[in-house]
Amino acid sequence: MNRDTRWKAIYAVVALCLAVSTANAATTLRYATVGEPPSLDQHVVTSDLATTIAHHMFEGLYTFNAANAPVPLLAASDSMSDDGKVITITLRDDVTFHNGQAMTSADVIASLQRWGEFGSRGGLLFGNVSGIEATGDHEITINLSEPFGPWKNLLAFINGGPAIYPASIMEGATKEPLKPEDYIGTGPYQFTEWQPNRHVELSRFDAYASPEGEADGYAGERKAEFDSLKFFPVPDVGTRVAGLQAGDYDYAESIPGDLYASLDADSNVSTILNGGPIFGLVFMNSKEGPLKENFALRRAIQTAIDKTPALQVAIGPEGLWKANGSFLPEGNVWFNDSGVDNFSRGDAEAAKAMAAEAGYTGDPIKFMVSTNYPFHYDSAIVYTKQLAQAGFNVDLQVYDWATLIEKRAQPDQWDLFFTHHGFVPDPILISVMNDNYPGWWTTEEKAALKAKFTASSDPAERQAIWGEIQALIYEQVPTMKTGDVYTYNIASPELQGLGDATLIWPHFWNVSK
Amino acid sequence: MIAYTFKRLLTLVPTLLAASVLVFLFIHLIPGDPAAILLGDTATPEEILALTRELGLDRPLWQQYVLWFKNVLSGDLGRSLFFDTPVLQVIADGAETSILLALLTMFWIVILGIPIGIVSASYKGTWIDQVTSGFAMLFASIPTFWLGLYLILIFSVGLGWLPSSGFPSVSDEGGWTNMRYLILPSLTLAAPNAALIIRLVRSSMLDVSREDHVRTARSKGLHPARVAIKHVFRNALIAVAAAFGFTFAALISEAVVTETVFSLPGIGRLVVQSILRRDYPVIQGVILIIVVLYMFVNLLVDLAYAWLDPRVSLS
Repeated sequence: MNRDTRWKAIYAVVALCLAVSTANAATTLRYATVGEPPSLDQHVVTSDLATTIAHHMFEGLYTFNAANAPVPLLAASDSMSDDGKVITITLRDDVTFHNGQAMTSADVIASLQRWGEFGSRGGLLFGNVSGIEATGDHEITINLSEPFGPWKNLLAFINGGPAIYPASIMEGATKEPLKPEDYIGTGPYQFTEWQPNRHVELSRFDAYASPEGEADGYAGERKAEFDSLKFFPVPDVGTRVAGLQAGDYDYAESIPGDLYASLDADSNVSTILNGGPIFGLVFMNSKEGPLKENFALRRAIQTAIDKTPALQVAIGPEGLWKANGSFLPEGNVWFNDSGVDNFSRGDAEAAKAMAAEAGYTGDPIKFMVSTNYPFHYDSAIVYTKQLAQAGFNVDLQVYDWATLIEKRAQPDQWDLFFTHHGFVPDPILISVMNDNYPGWWTTEEKAALKAKFTASSDPAERQAIWGEIQALIYEQVPTMKTGDVYTYNIASPELQGLGDATLIWPHFWNVSK
Repeated sequence: MIAYTFKRLLTLVPTLLAASVLVFLFIHLIPGDPAAILLGDTATPEEILALTRELGLDRPLWQQYVLWFKNVLSGDLGRSLFFDTPVLQVIADGAETSILLALLTMFWIVILGIPIGIVSASYKGTWIDQVTSGFAMLFASIPTFWLGLYLILIFSVGLGWLPSSGFPSVSDEGGWTNMRYLILPSLTLAAPNAALIIRLVRSSMLDVSREDHVRTARSKGLHPARVAIKHVFRNALIAVAAAFGFTFAALISEAVVTETVFSLPGIGRLVVQSILRRDYPVIQGVILIIVVLYMFVNLLVDLAYAWLDPRVSLS
């Protein structure tokens, strides 16, 4: 063997070893989150961060496809009686829990009952459920007291929604979130460990039975390509960005608009828009204070505000916001333009006249905002100036988020407060539709339309009624929408299969690196 | 000395009592309802009330305090509202990071601060002194969050030598090599403190070097290095020892910013997050432990005085 050949042989062996070791190396997706999730129990927790992690472990009977329509996931099919009061759902018979048990109707019934009684969004559906029973090993029947249109959307929305847990875990479960040792679901990844403030780790569930069909949104085939998913709390945004650029993370969420242009131009970073926009809301107090039942005064406030400058200041790059008055975005089945002429008039003179006519005499209007979310605060500063130009005496009160949450529950403490809302698949889930939500919008007109809206099962009819409700919101102004905000995440370009935008929460089945 | 130590330990009791009342009052007087935060946006007022009752937060404040203090005396700091685990365990999880970070930071402060301070004093007025003093001033003035982000940009993003953030436990995969995660944070935290020690060592040594015994040592013909170390530095160390005590204690509070920038699972970040979540038991537990730690460090500093300076009498 001459010298050259010997070296070639050594190179070949080294290369082979490297190739083998790379092939055997465990692949882990490293995700930098904004913080620590409260709990991953989907029945009771509505935090988006919790769902981002948990929807890899827990599945519901339905999920959403790319068009945001509900499609079966653990369910196989369903049928409804002619009077719209009896729903029969057939379950898939190939589903196994992470503890090795096969899923049957007993598990589904136990999960739905706990969610119905204690779940964050369960009361909305179960307020109309008169009975639920297993009508076979893989079939359940839900009896409704009145026809209830949003049932399938509610069953498909996993955030604060009806994840299916084993019946044994549901025994005795109440409002209190499940403990991590009880995180047993049916998803492509299973729970491994949670080290507080360090990471949450999920690992591939080898016995996973994927739903059939081509991947479409959250629907269709789900293939776990990674050996594990690790979610690290990285509260500082500069560190999330630098950590991804340094290769310590593969994916980092919630990046501010200021960095969008430079990151979008960086070939070492992919930017991924969140498909479902969040939107700011300024709630008005319907229970106490000068705005109570004074719809004319509320319309005057609405008229004074031009939403665009606030979005420019608070969000920045044009691609990340839309001054859209419809509560759900363009392209969505619920998009409509009823009432949106009044979304962003920014007419100080007209507002002044309307306020005088409504009997406003310069009483202070208490406007609460939190600095925990910079876009709330920045927008509120712009609004306060616009309102002052229209002659309103705004008393801007700045708190941390925990204080604001406590104060907004007390009707005598505020007149306006700023919050934001995540994307939801059915308008019934928007907080202003909830009579108990601070603001307490409970007019007769709302009650009548809401009853019609939930009773109908016909999609076209429901969309039309939602248009009427939206028009009523612009007339009675229980809340003001501030515009759509498209948050974005960043990823390593090595990740394959992510797509350009997420549906609601990022998902990592069918994704590899 | 034993009697002195015992007496000092006894004074811990009233101090702790006062600190615990203050902490308890401050935390409970700021607005913010833990039950509302825990239950989120969709909770009804009835659910919030029920949870408030379950957590015992509807009782009068003094009753809550007495109950809490009784449990503390039996070694039970309560349960975290957010993590739903014993507070002691939550603190223990963060303690590993905080202790290792503080030790590594102290290491940098000692090996950078003291030698540079000695050199700076020994070459007083020369360009070496000016350069070291200039750098010390610079690092004492740079905000830690800024320095931290720049160190990440240079050593993680640019050169790729060190990880940017996080800290896997040394008991995890990687073992003690995981300490590399703490190199940048400890340097960040050490920079302003080392700078202060440099300036302190320099000025104390210059003070001492004017004293008679130093002149005598020099006139005996001792080697300048021996004079500097044995006669000047040894005596200058008394002031430096006090500064070390305060620095170590201050590291815990200063670490809040560093732990946030580097996403370290330490006690500093735990306190800040617990305040935002109104996780009362954790805030109370951590602050109590920090108070105890401060007092112990002060005691150790006092004992070190006596050891360094035989003229100090502890009785």
